[in-house]
Amino acid sequence: MTELLRIAAPLSLWLASFSAVYGLEGLVCSDAWTGLELDSGAGRAALVAAMVLAVSLQAGLLVALQGQRFGSGVPALRRISLVLGIAALIASVWTLLPVMLMPLCL
Amino acid sequence: MLDPAGPAAETIARLWWIMLAGGGAIFVLVMALLLLAFRESGAEAGAGARRERVWILGLGLGFPLTVLAALLASALWVGERLLPRPAPEVVGVGAVARQWDWRFTYDDAPGRVTRGVLHIPAGRPVDVRITTEDVIHSFWAPRLAGKIDAIPGHVNVLRLEAWAPGDYAGASSEYNGPGYLGHGFIVRAHDPEAWRAFLADAPT
Amino acid sequence: MSAIRLHKALGRVWASEPGWRGWLTTVNHTDLGRMFLFVAALYFVIGGILAMLIRAQLASPRSAFMGPEVYAQVFTMHGTIMMFLFAIPLFEGVAVYLLPKLLGSRDLAFPRLTAYGFWCYAFGGAMLIFALLAGIAPDGGWFMYPPLTGPIYAPGINTDFWLIGITFVEISAICAAVEITVTVLRCRAPGMSLDRMPIFGWYALVTAVMILTGFPPLILGSILLELERAFGMPFFQVAEGGDSLLWQHLFWLFGHPEVYIIFLPAAGIVSTVLPVLARTTLLGYGWIVAAAVSLGVLSFGLWVHHMFTTGIPHMGLAFFSAASTLVAVPTAVQIFAWIGTLWKGRPALRLPMLWLLSFFATFVIGGLTGVMVAVVPFDWQVHDTHFIVAHLHYVLVGGFVFPMLAGLYYWLPHLTGRRRFFRIGEIAFWLVAVSFHVTFLAVHWAGLLGQRRRTFTFGPDDAWSLLNLVASIGSFVLAIGFALVILDVLVNALIAARGTRNPWGAGTLEWAMPTPPAAYNFASLPEVADRDPLWADPDLPVRIARGEGYLAGAERGRREILAVDVASGRPVQVVVLPGNTALPIAMSAATGGIFLGLLLKTYWLVPLAALVVAAMAIRWVWCLGTDADAGPQAVGHGLRLPLASDSADPPGWWGSLFLIGTSLTLFGSLLFGYAFLWTVAPNWPPPSYLHSGWASPALAGIGSLLACLGIRLAQRRLRRGRLPLVPLGAVTAGCGALVAAAVTVMAGTSHDAHAYDAVAWVLAGHAILHAGVPGLMSLVVLAAALRARLSAARSGPVHVLRLWTDHAAAVTVIGLVAIWLPGWLT
Repeated sequence: MTELLRIAAPLSLWLASFSAVYGLEGLVCSDAWTGLELDSGAGRAALVAAMVLAVSLQAGLLVALQGQRFGSGVPALRRISLVLGIAALIASVWTLLPVMLMPLCL
Repeated sequence: MLDPAGPAAETIARLWWIMLAGGGAIFVLVMALLLLAFRESGAEAGAGARRERVWILGLGLGFPLTVLAALLASALWVGERLLPRPAPEVVGVGAVARQWDWRFTYDDAPGRVTRGVLHIPAGRPVDVRITTEDVIHSFWAPRLAGKIDAIPGHVNVLRLEAWAPGDYAGASSEYNGPGYLGHGFIVRAHDPEAWRAFLADAPT
Repeated sequence: MSAIRLHKALGRVWASEPGWRGWLTTVNHTDLGRMFLFVAALYFVIGGILAMLIRAQLASPRSAFMGPEVYAQVFTMHGTIMMFLFAIPLFEGVAVYLLPKLLGSRDLAFPRLTAYGFWCYAFGGAMLIFALLAGIAPDGGWFMYPPLTGPIYAPGINTDFWLIGITFVEISAICAAVEITVTVLRCRAPGMSLDRMPIFGWYALVTAVMILTGFPPLILGSILLELERAFGMPFFQVAEGGDSLLWQHLFWLFGHPEVYIIFLPAAGIVSTVLPVLARTTLLGYGWIVAAAVSLGVLSFGLWVHHMFTTGIPHMGLAFFSAASTLVAVPTAVQIFAWIGTLWKGRPALRLPMLWLLSFFATFVIGGLTGVMVAVVPFDWQVHDTHFIVAHLHYVLVGGFVFPMLAGLYYWLPHLTGRRRFFRIGEIAFWLVAVSFHVTFLAVHWAGLLGQRRRTFTFGPDDAWSLLNLVASIGSFVLAIGFALVILDVLVNALIAARGTRNPWGAGTLEWAMPTPPAAYNFASLPEVADRDPLWADPDLPVRIARGEGYLAGAERGRREILAVDVASGRPVQVVVLPGNTALPIAMSAATGGIFLGLLLKTYWLVPLAALVVAAMAIRWVWCLGTDADAGPQAVGHGLRLPLASDSADPPGWWGSLFLIGTSLTLFGSLLFGYAFLWTVAPNWPPPSYLHSGWASPALAGIGSLLACLGIRLAQRRLRRGRLPLVPLGAVTAGCGALVAAAVTVMAGTSHDAHAYDAVAWVLAGHAILHAGVPGLMSLVVLAAALRARLSAARSGPVHVLRLWTDHAAAVTVIGLVAIWLPGWLT
């Protein structure tokens, strides 16, 4: 079971952070955000912070899954988990990059 | 949409032709590689590791990542340009859909309502604020711009512009019941004079 | 013992009942796999006939063949049948038939569940076909957007048939997915570690987990929409705080993974068949596993790309546009790995290979147009046009039907034991391969010219008039092609000559048995040390038949398989499987009673049928227990293993684990829906929030503590050899308290006042159900304890109960707090 978690974890983390950032963007663009008396600058800052957090978590997981403590003992599975860890890191940067480049709520 | 009559539709049509050319080239490449596998000379020599490098790292990962990064960047850039950003000269109109007609209102002529025909000035950007009284519809004038849905309780804004005066067909394009086929409208673009006349409630 | 005597001994134990009774009581995976395949093929024919009606209607302008109302039913049912009654069940059929054979097992982990799932599928599908024949079929399009499908704009029973019938059918998908997951993880041949597993096993595992996490959002959406329709709970009505966009999110949260749930098994077949026909091994096994897992997870991050035109801010769209382009990468990895495999080997142009080539040509085009529609501005133009229709047919027919046909021709000798003699298949192939492109290239073009999907006719002056005629002619040829495929399969299955074993020279275990296969698959279970055991040891089939593997024959006179350690494949348990029984069909009929009661609004039937289902479920699990510790069992090669019923983690524990995962996804979707309405729906906040006071939260807190502590204490007592009667009683009481706390929420709100109140009712109802089930289970375990059916070894039921109790406590407390929180804050 732990072997499967090693395989499933990296991209599941991507999915979680991806959904969370999308949810945050929805919140930033909703009336609730203005209701909290926050402006769009705060919204942008929150989104960028979320992205940085997501990417660092992803990188941390990648390192952990290749380390002695959490890594797999089976070489084939270890390689698959490495590939998926890198894939998830790329996915995080690739899919969350819009928070840096795009207008907030247009 | 292949016969654009406004800047938004033109941009998208150009995007389509570029993607068709690129997609066609990729398709030909993949098919050629596929069929070459069946040539008589049979198995090509090479160590397993090298084979994985060529087929998986090179063609499987490197190639699509490069193409897709370029495509995504240009797509988002194009998308940005089509957004309804504030600009001078923008005309505001409203569109309300219901089963099965369209009614249009005009910021520059309060109280004025037209049914089935949306009047706009030619050569100026128009922001259409779209909503619905009942089910979900979608506002689509293919020769002018893409579509956006009319959703209960929400107002969506679509930027469109017609280069030249004339009538442009529009339709609802989200299935909305038995009257769906006939749920169309016309976008009538006027030259400046006719637009002024329309706003002044003169017969057009 | 000789092979013949082994065969006879096993046959006596594993055979289904003779005659027609056998169909109703069989729990054997080979039988049920065939039944799934046959019924799915039947629905393919029905869906195909509907497609022909559509193309006949669209062949000429102003056609008077169908009016808009009938046309709406036809296109809705075409999509619904092909998606829910053909594609998913066909995968289930393939997996049910093949998996144990590929993995070197005698059956799936839960044979009765397979049967139960099949009958739910059969009965649920029959409901929809009845609606179709009676002219009251669903008519809102296969994705059923409210408000068009809500109580105001669709008052008839049509929509209810969809919501209730499809939910009923989805039970079968969930059952099959639990079954497949546990089988792949636990029921493999000894020594088959994860990295030695046939590649199809990985694909099936990923697909099954996707079903477990992808279907709950749709099931939830269907429940909410049916509650709105039946009881006026306003989840999707904007005036009362609902939002129709919630449906779209829930639907596509399911709908996009669904596309990959359909594609991945087909890709698994490509990865299995293609190397064998190229006489080599698969290039980049590990890469392909990684690609399949990536596709599985990435596909959950794409759902909004079906909603690019709903007015979501461009940044939000950009996330999903990026994710949608990214998902093409693992697909490309697989495509090029397959082509590289062909280069590595010596591919032979046999019929399955022809279908694979057609798959490549078609699916690559579908993938390319898929990337195009992932481009937001382009999608703004082609969304809801025939371009999308053509794109999705390229993906689904190219990416699913063609590989499945390759698989069909590849495994046909296995299914029938015959050699293909009549060569109708080649003619059929060329008809299908060519006419498919004629049809759907024309449909693409019609969409680009502006033809909207779901319009029932067009005028003679419309630019797409001629293209539609071309598409219709192409589609009729296509239909003839598919008819010839069916004819080819039938004549070759019925009257062709007997064939040899393993005609393709494959290396996987399903070919290590005589064909057609015997009910028990393997006379003994082989030890596996290689990814292609038959290539490593060509004599393996003979040695299996002679009983040289594990569990040779049926010495103890019961159906036995081995359970293995998940990662290493080391055997750890002997699982005794149940024999033929009518319980599954009876229980699915009773389940059907629940759905029928909801459909016909005869609500008295619902609790009655639920009671019957509960009684049968108790009988179901009761059969799994034993009266005494059996002790270690000899399995051959000097190895002795405990029975699963003498273990802490019997297959039922694993099944419960994954079922709980599914349940949590549904709960998560519900919380998402709540948060979504809160932030996005226009008419929020509601007029008033529920103020809980202190008594109900205290009740919930005490209940969850009592239940969680009780079950832990019960585990400890049992481990020390004492019967845990009082702790089990505490679990019952705790669950009762949780139910009571949830009831106070219902009492404090009015279900149809506002979406907030409606959500409160659903969360409370969810809590009542999920606390009620372990409450009932604890009584059953209590009864088992009193009858001495529990011991320190036979502790499985208590461990299973702990999973469900913890789950109940978590979802009840979180759900109730979510409802109370705004009241506490204001």
